[in-house]
Amino acid sequence: MVDDERPMTDAADRFDGYLEALLGNGRPSPEAVGDNDEAEMARMAAELAASGRPASDASPDPAFIEQLRLRMRQADAGIAAVRRPPPVREQPQPGGSTRWRLSRRQLLQAGLGAAAGMAAGVIGASLGSQAQRRAGLGEDDQPLVAGEGFWTEVAHLDEVQPGSAVRFSTAAFDGFVVNDGETVRALSSVCTHMGCTLHFRPDWQDLRCPCHAASFDLAGRLANGRVTWRSQGAYPGDARAYPIELPDLVRPRVKVEDDAVWVWTAQA
Amino acid sequence: MSTGPGPFEQVYDRHAVAIYRYVYARVGNHPDAEDLTAQVFVRAIEQLDTGREPGQIAAWLYRVAQNAIADHWRAFYRLPLVGADHVAPGWEPVDESGKAAAEPDDRAGVRVKALLRRLPDHYRRVLELRFLERMSVAETARAMGISNGNARVLQYRALRRAALLGDPTDG
Repeated sequence: MVDDERPMTDAADRFDGYLEALLGNGRPSPEAVGDNDEAEMARMAAELAASGRPASDASPDPAFIEQLRLRMRQADAGIAAVRRPPPVREQPQPGGSTRWRLSRRQLLQAGLGAAAGMAAGVIGASLGSQAQRRAGLGEDDQPLVAGEGFWTEVAHLDEVQPGSAVRFSTAAFDGFVVNDGETVRALSSVCTHMGCTLHFRPDWQDLRCPCHAASFDLAGRLANGRVTWRSQGAYPGDARAYPIELPDLVRPRVKVEDDAVWVWTAQA
Repeated sequence: MSTGPGPFEQVYDRHAVAIYRYVYARVGNHPDAEDLTAQVFVRAIEQLDTGREPGQIAAWLYRVAQNAIADHWRAFYRLPLVGADHVAPGWEPVDESGKAAAEPDDRAGVRVKALLRRLPDHYRRVLELRFLERMSVAETARAMGISNGNARVLQYRALRRAALLGDPTDG
């Protein structure tokens, strides 16, 4: 009839493959769609297919619903787990500043000697002696500065309660001071994937990348990668594993002195 | 420590099936509906403040679902669309959307039926047989007294006309 009959037949045959997948309740592929007109047709077909099914057929598979419910339950449990009282000191108050003021007041009331003791306690659970403390704080960390560097104070120990992280910025280096309950570390705030700036999520105890959703634990390792996923199970809060492995976050050397956390960094 | 479902599970219990139906009505198949529903609730784990008003939570969930569906269809287009309809999920008030969100599922079906009525007879017939009666191409061809090839061409043209008449995003 018309000279576009042949291409029309081809397109109609190809598109019928798409419809067969859709109507067979499989997952139709975008690859079968040739142009934007057909994309509109695919959307129309999807609505037609859905409306043509009895209501019972439009209901979710109970097994799927149950599986996803477990994920939600896991998230509820995960939050409960990371919100457990930290191993050192008393119950944390919601909201960092309140907590800081309270402990500050306690410190003042307790006097300087006690303050030093408590400060040691923050990192002291596993870091009793000076030697151990040094090991726990820095020995496996990379030397950030090749030649001349200096210690710069980046946080007060008070601010770095177990389970918390404090952002710091020096001329040469931006990062977080983190306390995972056992060890105080400094970690770079730059994602090792594309260099986006990480943010701390208290509920999940991780440093999260806003760009591609990589999560790093408070030791600086990728926490939601495939390897971890396989060895330790699903990362709560993510539907699937982060697709590629990433290097650890840079960990500059830190020390605790005079109730302050110091980082070894370069002069500007 | 706590007994009974936690905050996320409560939100889930309340909305999971409705969100699923909402998504399913727009993607038309279960595998995609499951994927997108999971996306919505995983996003909720990350970003939803479960302390919000129930109406706000419902509105948030449907907005995230809408975005997930829009992203899903985006993959079907050969040229990048200027993403005008992509609403960032936030807490900005959506008037009445709590109400709209309570029963949006039926609207797609109602709209489809209205649309079918506006099609020429043979277009409507082929779509009814294929999508509502769920006949195969061969059965449809037999019922209409045409060849299988013509039935495919007819359903193709009918869908194209239907797509021109009603942009699914309008609903």
